Amino acid sequence: MGSVELFGWLTLLAPLAGAIVVGLSGRRLPGRGAGWVATGALALSFASAIGALFALQDLGHEERHVVAVAWDYAVTAGVDAQISLLIDPLSVFMILVVTGVSTLIHLYSISYLDSDRGYVRYFAFLNFFVFSMLLLVLAGNFLLLIVGWAFVGAASYMLISFWFRRTTATNAGIKAFVINVLGDVGLVLGTYFIFRGTGSLDFLTTFERVGEAFSTNDGDLVAGCILLLVGAFAKSAQIPLHTWLPDAMEGPTPVSALIHAATMVTAGVYLIARMHPLFEQAPAAADVGAVIGCLTLVVAGTIGLAVTDLKRVIAYSTMSQIGYMIMAVSAGAYAAGLFHLMTHAFFKALLFMAAGSVIAAMAGRQSLEHMGGFRRSMPFTYGCFIVGGLALAGVPPFSGFFSKDEILLYVGDRGGWFWILYVAGYFGSFLTAVYTFRMIFRAFWGDPVPEARALEQGHLFHADEHTNPATGEVEDTDVGFPGPEHHIAERALPMRLAMGTLALLAIGGGLLQVPEVTHVVDSFLEPTFADSALYERELDGGLTVFGLILGAVVGVAGIAVAYLIWVRNPQIAVRARERLAGAHALFVNKWYFDELIGAVVVRPAQWFGSFAQQTFERVVVNGVLVGGTTGVVRAGSSAVRAAQTGFLRYYAALIVLGMVVIAFYFLLVS
Amino acid sequence: MTLHLSIMLWLPLAFGVLGLLAPRWAGRAAVLGTLLTLAYAITYVVDFDAAEGALQYVTDETWIAELGISYKLGIDGLNLFLVLLAAILWFASTLWALRQEWERPGLFYFHMALAQTSVLGALLAQDLALFVVFFDLMLVPFFFLTGQWGGADRVRATTTLVIYTLVGSLLMLTAAIATGVLTAQRTGDELTFDLEALAAAPLAEGTQAWIFLFFAAAFLVKMPAFPLHGWMPDGYRNMPIPVLAVFSGVLSKVAAYGFLRVCLPVFPDASEQFQTLLLLIALASILYGSAMAFTTTQTRLILGYSSVAQLGFITLGIFALNERGAQGAVLQAFNHGLVVAPAFFIVALVAARAGGSEDLRDMGGIGMRAPLLATLFLIVAFATLAMPGSSNFAGEFLILLGVFDTKVVIAIVAFSGVVLASVYALRLFIGAMHNRAGPQVLSAEIATRDALVLVPLVLAIVALALYPQLALTRSEETVGEKVRPAAVIAGQAPAPAPLGTGYAPLPPPEAPGP
Repeated sequence: MGSVELFGWLTLLAPLAGAIVVGLSGRRLPGRGAGWVATGALALSFASAIGALFALQDLGHEERHVVAVAWDYAVTAGVDAQISLLIDPLSVFMILVVTGVSTLIHLYSISYLDSDRGYVRYFAFLNFFVFSMLLLVLAGNFLLLIVGWAFVGAASYMLISFWFRRTTATNAGIKAFVINVLGDVGLVLGTYFIFRGTGSLDFLTTFERVGEAFSTNDGDLVAGCILLLVGAFAKSAQIPLHTWLPDAMEGPTPVSALIHAATMVTAGVYLIARMHPLFEQAPAAADVGAVIGCLTLVVAGTIGLAVTDLKRVIAYSTMSQIGYMIMAVSAGAYAAGLFHLMTHAFFKALLFMAAGSVIAAMAGRQSLEHMGGFRRSMPFTYGCFIVGGLALAGVPPFSGFFSKDEILLYVGDRGGWFWILYVAGYFGSFLTAVYTFRMIFRAFWGDPVPEARALEQGHLFHADEHTNPATGEVEDTDVGFPGPEHHIAERALPMRLAMGTLALLAIGGGLLQVPEVTHVVDSFLEPTFADSALYERELDGGLTVFGLILGAVVGVAGIAVAYLIWVRNPQIAVRARERLAGAHALFVNKWYFDELIGAVVVRPAQWFGSFAQQTFERVVVNGVLVGGTTGVVRAGSSAVRAAQTGFLRYYAALIVLGMVVIAFYFLLVS
Repeated sequence: MTLHLSIMLWLPLAFGVLGLLAPRWAGRAAVLGTLLTLAYAITYVVDFDAAEGALQYVTDETWIAELGISYKLGIDGLNLFLVLLAAILWFASTLWALRQEWERPGLFYFHMALAQTSVLGALLAQDLALFVVFFDLMLVPFFFLTGQWGGADRVRATTTLVIYTLVGSLLMLTAAIATGVLTAQRTGDELTFDLEALAAAPLAEGTQAWIFLFFAAAFLVKMPAFPLHGWMPDGYRNMPIPVLAVFSGVLSKVAAYGFLRVCLPVFPDASEQFQTLLLLIALASILYGSAMAFTTTQTRLILGYSSVAQLGFITLGIFALNERGAQGAVLQAFNHGLVVAPAFFIVALVAARAGGSEDLRDMGGIGMRAPLLATLFLIVAFATLAMPGSSNFAGEFLILLGVFDTKVVIAIVAFSGVVLASVYALRLFIGAMHNRAGPQVLSAEIATRDALVLVPLVLAIVALALYPQLALTRSEETVGEKVRPAAVIAGQAPAPAPLGTGYAPLPPPEAPGP
């Protein structure tokens, strides 16, 4: 086994080992032991990922795709599914981002969750999640990809319903799981279509054969790719399969940071980038991806303007940012999309962590309506929020500025109808700046709320009784509900450490790839995309400069507008809401997507279920079939009632005897 | 240990008779008997020659010479893992049965043993008449087990069960006799029920058709498949849990196995002729079973209807009439048995913590003080919904791929069953373990003796999830052979000019290009 393979396996298996150790040791680990063990496992995984990076870079340019096979999984009847990893620049890039951010979020959780009675379970799940995510990005064939894909969905479900006695959490969990299963189904069916042409599940073999097996825009290939997109949309919360993501905010805040911002939801982006040889052969499907990504980024941006739940605002911004990434990789801007994936992981994880700190100060409540004035009482959290917010809004020189700019530049450079996407992208960028700073101004500026005042005097606010913030139901603090203590970044070193590191990355991460200056991500990923016709395009120099300026202006303008509306003159917001009541209702109700899916999918399924239950089973199956058959047999048996003693066993014995007699009768007749 | 199939076949019954003679020791005798059987079954799996498609460990004695019936037993890729499944589940269920005192324990364990012997007989029989004898015999102990030790409504349940299976059995008996007699007439040879001989001399198409339908009806009742599942709800509600675990886990698979052992090789033309009909019945079972499973609140019936849906998938795989589908079906038959039995045990444990009610509405919050039980339940639930990564998924993947190769639309519709499965399996898990506690709920961790049964079963599920190839390798040769006649007719495999696998061999993995 070469060192690349070794590091690959080590990266993958360290979190699994962590999950098993933590899970089995249970509460025997003292204090925060479970948290430290889990974090240690992740740190080991991250170190191995760095090892894999160096080992891979040692190989020649042409050899940077190593397949590590462990054993045959389902090799039969022409199906060639093995347990195999594909380690190439793309997967190494992904494991670096995943393990790096995950380590920090584990670190943060050590403090944040430490009063929770489910502490051990939490870390076992969290480690299992990272293992699943690594399996997804390291998988070397379709079947293993689907396994990682589904494991990620399952881990996400387990963590969304982490506080499992909350009905809101379990409902959100099952919703997320079922929508993700829908995505799995898309992925499996898509795999079938592609397998039909190429006859292999292995990635490299498939990519090699795709040219011969399919002509450009071949029907099977387009169907397959669109079905793969269904999988990508479900996991990456793109329209119309996004409705689970806002609800997923029922989970603990670090979970939102890890799964529903930095890692899992970017799986769709990875998928499209990984499948780029297929999508380039099926440009019609790729266009679908680009359009949906663009629609999502705008729609999510408008909703972000209207919702008042702090975490949900960030959730919608995640949706919107992933829209950018999906649009990018569908349009062929692979490096730009993946670069944005990385910077987004930094600043979005940071924003969620900071939000977690605020929510802790609010004793679990999440509504912006009750927040305000935390600027002075939580300076560190505030600073992190500002850094994350500036990066998200795309203000230079923060990381988000460069990555978003590169995406839009590439999309604009494609020309033709891609100009529509280009313009919509900048519009979305403006919305992003507005809703991000609306959130910051409302939470941190203005008059301090009682919780902020208490904190200024050195007391962390504790509610008299614990309630579910969504429903107001009273809760205890035992297993299955949140623990009693809250932790804010200002007072917990691990949280400060994690947030500080991410803040630095959110500020400086963009320098990896400054137009005309640095090309670190670009050139690192180049071997994976060597076969791509779209990868190394010469971009228009004038457009580059124009884009940089426009991006900066739009970002700053958005912040200015937010300042005007929510700080200088709050009356504007009230009046706008009244004037544009229709639009506001549309946004607050999330464009009625939940209602739409309810009417089209959920209710028909329920109707079918209750029809089967209450009508068909009772009338046809029990009435006609069972009643009919038993009736006929009863009528027949009444003739021989004399022979019946009424005891069931004699009845059964008679049947056996009867069968034997009939058997001999038949034999004699024949 | 001599590898003689008759020893394994009659071992359980021998211990059952011992128990009958010494009722006080009946439980322990039964455990020992099932344990020895399990040891035998594992030995066969280890010793089995995977490269060999033909029967192994054959026992062939003339039984009734005048009627051409022989006592012929054998193991090949079709029944190897089902024998293992029967051995595992009977051992587990017998251990589970020890949890409680049974009225007339000698008789109870005797019937359990008789059931195991007859199930093993049906699986091992390589003579059609012998198969029919064992197939019918295996119901008799279940009548008694349900009728005497069952729940409140046991009389009604048993009556329905008897009537349904009686009709099926009679049809099958008629069909079996007709097959032997008509084949003898056609070939002019002596009367024989040897399955290999019957497969070598297929009947005329028209004759195959009605005989096939008789067999199919018997198997579909036993599975049960929609709309012939009328006996299932009452039956499942009233069987004692250990009985139900083997009944649902193994007996339904014997029916699916019957299709592969009897119908496809002996009636290939009819199998092709009725392919669409059987696929539609399977599809209806999937959709209907899933819909019932996500609406009912009776925990046992959720599992019962989910079995209807899962058996629908297995039937779908068989009647894809190609090697992929059939391989998936054989794997899935093992998987489903291995998953549904612990699921019933868990339902019993959960009901005990909800004040004895098996209704989902009385449950909730049971996971609070029972992390191990919740973990086991969650793994079983994930396997039930065939989550990728479980062996159930590997089976389902092959089944649906097989169907996709021949009937795309049916495959796509069947996928809705995959989504619905996630709804009913999680609904069961969440309804029992999560949310606020039900009124009578007392959450308590799983007891050690229960864990001793459940944990190994769950570990077996996990192990197979890591390596389904274990089963696939061993079934591949035989399955290919049994499916080929029907597959050739359906145009799913090349005509058998040379004896190949039916599929072009995969090119060796080439060196990955840039």
